[in-house]
Parts: sequence; C-alpha cells; structure tokens
Amino acid sequence: MNEKIKVKVTNLIKNFGDNQVLKGINLEVHDNEVVVVIGPSGSGKSTFLRNLNRLEAPTSGSIVIDDTDIADPKTDINKVRENIGMVFQHFNLFSNLSVSENIMLAPVELGKATKEEAAKQAKELLARVGLESKYDATVQSLSGGQQQRVAIARALAMNPNVMLFDEPTSALDPEMVGDVLGVMKQLATQGMTMIVVTHEMGFAKEVADRVVFVDDGNIQEQGTPDEIFNHPKDPRLQNFLDKVLNV
Amino acid sequence: MKRSFIRIVGGLIALLSLFAALNFSTTPAKAETTYQIATDSTFPPFEFANSHNKYVGIDIDLLHAIAKDQGFKVNIKPTSFNAAVQSVQSGQMDGVIAGMSITKEREATFDFSKAYFMSGVVMAAKPNGKVTSLKQLRGKRVAVKTGTSGAQYAQSIHKKYGFKIVTFDESNDMYQDVLTGNSAATFEDSPVMKYAIRQGTKLKIYTKPALSGPYGFAVKKGHNQKLLRMFNNGLADLKANGEYARITRHYLGAKGSSDTTSDRTFLGLIKQNKGALLSGFEQTVWLTIVAIFFATLFGVIVGLLGVVPSKFCNGISTTLIYIFRGLPLLVLALFIYTGIPSLTGQKIPAFIAGIITLMFNEGAYIAAFVKGGINAVDDGQMEAARSLGLPFGKAMRRVILPQGIRIMIPSFINQFIITLKDTSILSIIGIIELTQTGKIIIARNLEGFKVWAIVAIIYLIVITLLTWLSNWVQRRVRL
Repeated sequence: MNEKIKVKVTNLIKNFGDNQVLKGINLEVHDNEVVVVIGPSGSGKSTFLRNLNRLEAPTSGSIVIDDTDIADPKTDINKVRENIGMVFQHFNLFSNLSVSENIMLAPVELGKATKEEAAKQAKELLARVGLESKYDATVQSLSGGQQQRVAIARALAMNPNVMLFDEPTSALDPEMVGDVLGVMKQLATQGMTMIVVTHEMGFAKEVADRVVFVDDGNIQEQGTPDEIFNHPKDPRLQNFLDKVLNV
Repeated sequence: MKRSFIRIVGGLIALLSLFAALNFSTTPAKAETTYQIATDSTFPPFEFANSHNKYVGIDIDLLHAIAKDQGFKVNIKPTSFNAAVQSVQSGQMDGVIAGMSITKEREATFDFSKAYFMSGVVMAAKPNGKVTSLKQLRGKRVAVKTGTSGAQYAQSIHKKYGFKIVTFDESNDMYQDVLTGNSAATFEDSPVMKYAIRQGTKLKIYTKPALSGPYGFAVKKGHNQKLLRMFNNGLADLKANGEYARITRHYLGAKGSSDTTSDRTFLGLIKQNKGALLSGFEQTVWLTIVAIFFATLFGVIVGLLGVVPSKFCNGISTTLIYIFRGLPLLVLALFIYTGIPSLTGQKIPAFIAGIITLMFNEGAYIAAFVKGGINAVDDGQMEAARSLGLPFGKAMRRVILPQGIRIMIPSFINQFIITLKDTSILSIIGIIELTQTGKIIIARNLEGFKVWAIVAIIYLIVITLLTWLSNWVQRRVRL
C-alpha cells in the first residue's frame, strides 16, 4: 500500500425522493489498498458503492477518482468506468453471449483490443480464475460460483485500476464461496485497489487493509481489521458484530 | 445516443414524405379534360362489377355516354358510397355519381345536376304473404341500408307504423336479414330492389314507390361548374337521341342483363370471379407487407424512445402509444383518409391512407411490446454493460436488444397476423382488397354465404402460410 490517494469521497449525499440514504460520507482510498465495507442491510453500503461509478447519480458531494470528479455531470462517465471494474451480487453475465464473448465484448467494442488480442486475453483471464475449459460455454451452463469468476474476468479485461465488489458471494451456495474469495484474494495480493461490500467477515479479517463500518447512511467507525473486530468502540458496531459472528 | 435516435426519427419522417410525394406525383396529373369521378362499388343496377370484373351500370354507362357526347374524359373510381361522397367533399375527387338522391341537406355542400333518374322507395318482404302492407309492420323489424332514401323513409314513418329500424352497410346483408326472418321487410330503392329480385333474391315488392327521389350527379359546392354544365347538356342530348332510354332499358327492362343463368356452385363462383378475387388477394397481401414494414419501423422507433434515458422521449413514446392504440382502426382510417385532406386540401390516395393508418395503429401495438420486451430484460444486464464503460447505445445494441428481441418474437408474429386481418377494415375507405372484393361480388350475384366462405378460406390460407413462415424464421433466429 502506498500514500497516493486513488479515491477521495467528500461529503457524499444521496437521496431517493424524501429518503436520505447517504448522509455525507467522507472516505479516502489509497492506491493498492483493499477496503472492506461492512454494515447491516439497508445501511446504504451498496448504494455507496454504486455511487462510485455513478450507477446511481450522487445528490451532492464529490467523488474524485484519479483526479476526475465523477459526481460532476460534465465528466464523460463512460471513460471513467473503463478504469473501474464492478462485480455484482447476481453476476449479471450477458446471457445472450458465450463466456468468452462476455469477456471480449467491452475491449473490442471500445477499441481497446482487436478480436484476436481480446480472445487471447480472455483465455489468459479464464486461466487466472480457473475456468480455461469454459471458454466456449454458455452462461446458462455455469454454476453460480463459476459465473461470478467469469464476471471478475470480464471486469479485469478492461484493465481497471480500481475494482468494486457488491456483495459478490451473497447469492452463492456455501460451497462456491471459497473459489470466488480465492480469486479476490489473489487480486488483492497482486496489488489491485479494491472496495468490497461483503458479509464475509473472514475475508475482511484476512485480506482487508482497512474495514469501514457503515450504518444509517454514514461511516460510523473505520480501522484495521484488528481494531474493528477485536476492539470495536461504536456500540452499533459492537451490536452488529455480535449478531454476525455469534450465530 | 439521443442524437442518433433523433436522426432515426428524422430519417423515418423523410422516408415517409418521400414515399407520399412519390405516390402523389404518380397519380395521373389532371389533364384538362379528364375528370376524377367517384362512385359506389356495390349499387346495382347503377354501378357494380360485372362477371368480367368491369364496372357497369346505369350511372357508369350514362356518364361514359355523356362524356363522349360532350368531349371530355372521365376516370371512374369505385369505392364505398360514404367514401365516394366524402372524397368529393374533401376535394379528392371532382364529382360523384352513385345513385345519389338530391336532398336539401346535400344541397348545402354539393351542387347537383338535373335529375337523371327518378327513383322511389318500395317495401319488399318474403313472398309468403305474411307481410304485405306497412300496417302489418307493427312491432316488427325493418331492414334498411345506411344513408339511403329507404333509411330516410323508414325514419319518417316508423313511429306511425310502430316498427323498429335495423341498419346495414350492404344490400345483401339487408336482404339476408329479411330472408332469415330477423326482419319482416326491407325498404329499398325500387330499381335496386327490382334488379335484386331479377338476380334471384326471394323477395317480393308489395308497395308502390313512395318518396319519389330524383338521383343527381354532384360536384363540390362552387367547384367544377363546367363539368356540371356539360353533364346537364349531355343528359339532354341523350334523352333526345334515345340513348338514355336504351341504357335504362338494358338494366331495368324485362330482357335486360341478368346473371341468374351462370353457375352458382362454389367452383363456379370461384371460376367466374377468379380475376377479381386474385386482384383483391394481391391488394391484401401487398397492403399487409408494406404495412408490416412501416408499422415495424414506427413501432421499434417509438418503443426505443420509450426506454432511452430521457423523460422527454419517454413522454413522446407513451403519448403516441396511448393515442394510436386507443383509437379504433376504423375511426383512424376514416380520419386520415377524409379528415386530413379536408383540413389541408392535400389529397391522399386511399392506399397511402391505408398504409399510414396501419402504420400508426399496428405500430403502436408493436411499440408497446418492444418497450415491454426491453423492460423485461433484467436491469442488471444494462448495469453490467454500463459499468464496463459501454455507452448506452452500444449496451442496448449488443446486450439488451438481442435478449429483448427473443422475448418479442411471438408478439411480432401475432401482430403480423393481426395486421393481415386488419387490412380488411380498410375496405371502408374504398380500397378494393379481399373483403371489399367479396362485397362487390355479392352486390352483383347476392350469393352472400358462398362468397364469404370463399373469402374466409382465402384469409385462412394466407394466415396459415404466414404462420408457417413466422415459425420457420423463429426457429432460425433462436440461438
């Protein structure tokens, strides 16, 4: 982890009608840092993540990624998104395309690679997530865990320098979770800047550089995994950990 | 992305106006002496298609004879009576000759020639003698044809004699209603009734002609006065030289033209009317193909406008769908064909009006399921595509549309079949497609049941072929 600030969120507010979901979030993420966001459901952590690549438009505040303010409506959001990979809870693989076509679509469509280059890259990426045999497979023939690993490969095909994970293992059968987390760990050790919303406390303890606890639309506490899990100060965090760890 | 949609819409408008312009320019330029005359297509013995599918009748023969006598040319266009009257009113045609009674109301919007025929309304009923006078109609039903003197006569006396009026669009339907016993009698113009009885209709005339009505040739009030003068002069000449008497005798005399001797079996009817049925069938197929093309274009564009991220475009889409899906096809067809020209003064050929009607109506349904099909694709697909940096248009084209189209295909097939059937409604604006052809044949030979059965079978055959074709296409595109 180095000192360069990759993502700087300042006073981020998001309203859905009269309902204020994000109430002024401030957060800095450094280059190569892995930040895990935890919190009860409905706390606003997914909304926060979706603001970072403007799948939801911020109501106010600023989000600067690599010196570009993406909350500014004048920003060409498509250019910025090329550098921000996103992995969804429900994978969202393109069901009209094969596994390799899923991975190749964006690089080819956006002129980042020729078809041949993209095909070669797709093979490499599939090997990296352990699915080289699924190159020509249909999306429907894959298990949930396999689909999520393809989704990660698809995001990586654009060579992003930040990856956002929105509860990537929540929709998986328990025995599939390990494979996906394995790929994510590998990414973290290779130095990818990652912001991960998850309920996998084990992953947070092991991989996170920093853990952020969000509740009621704001960051209530943040720190190293040791500080958060072993010495929580905020009573809401204590209560939350009590519920998720002592099942 | 928004810009490219606007470009598509602009392109469509340009294409349509080109299409329209081409057709306007191909309608024969009005040479000095060629007049466009509208007539009914189903009013024997005044106008009807003979067994060679050629229009003949007292009106037609008189007009040709007058034109020859006065040295002008006519181009006679058979359509429905209402369409004929309205096309002159809106300036699309120069004059109308269609067994049209001269009435006070009509004189407000038309200038009539001198009467060229004196008609009168008679009552006809089954020849079993149960109903032989107006007095016996109390509590019963009387069949009349909309807009005719018979209908007017019925209206004027129905309180006095206490009968109920039922109206029909076609003479044959009206006679059938009496023959089946639903109605006790019918009021019809005496020459028309005489001709029908001579064609084999099992009805009998029981009253003397009442409400004697003069028939006149009409032009739009204040227009085509020269044509009107020539008609009057020609009519006088024809009466003087005996040509008038020869024509009327040919159709109404004891030894006039008659069709009763011809073969009335199914096969016989098909053989006699092969030409007419084939050309009606061609017109139906042609209407269907062109209409499907434009309706799909219109529907896809309006459907896409409904899903682009622009409140303005969404509003336009919703409004267009609301209007054109909400309007009955019949109303829309009449509005476009007769309404728009009377507002703008610009003529619209019936075929173009029909295509525009179907484009809007069927297109609105297509737009609705295009919109629905796209909305049925999981939101996550669009989010994933956008999160990779794909612009909206590319995401739509490569990810959303291919999935949406698969959802839409059954609806498309359904809509194509509906479009084929809906072309029959365009007979109302006088397009001589399959249904109108059926009406025309029946007007001549009064074989309603058999002719409609033939027409129905032709429709079923085409629909079966279309369904097979659609299923074949569907199998090819299923991935």
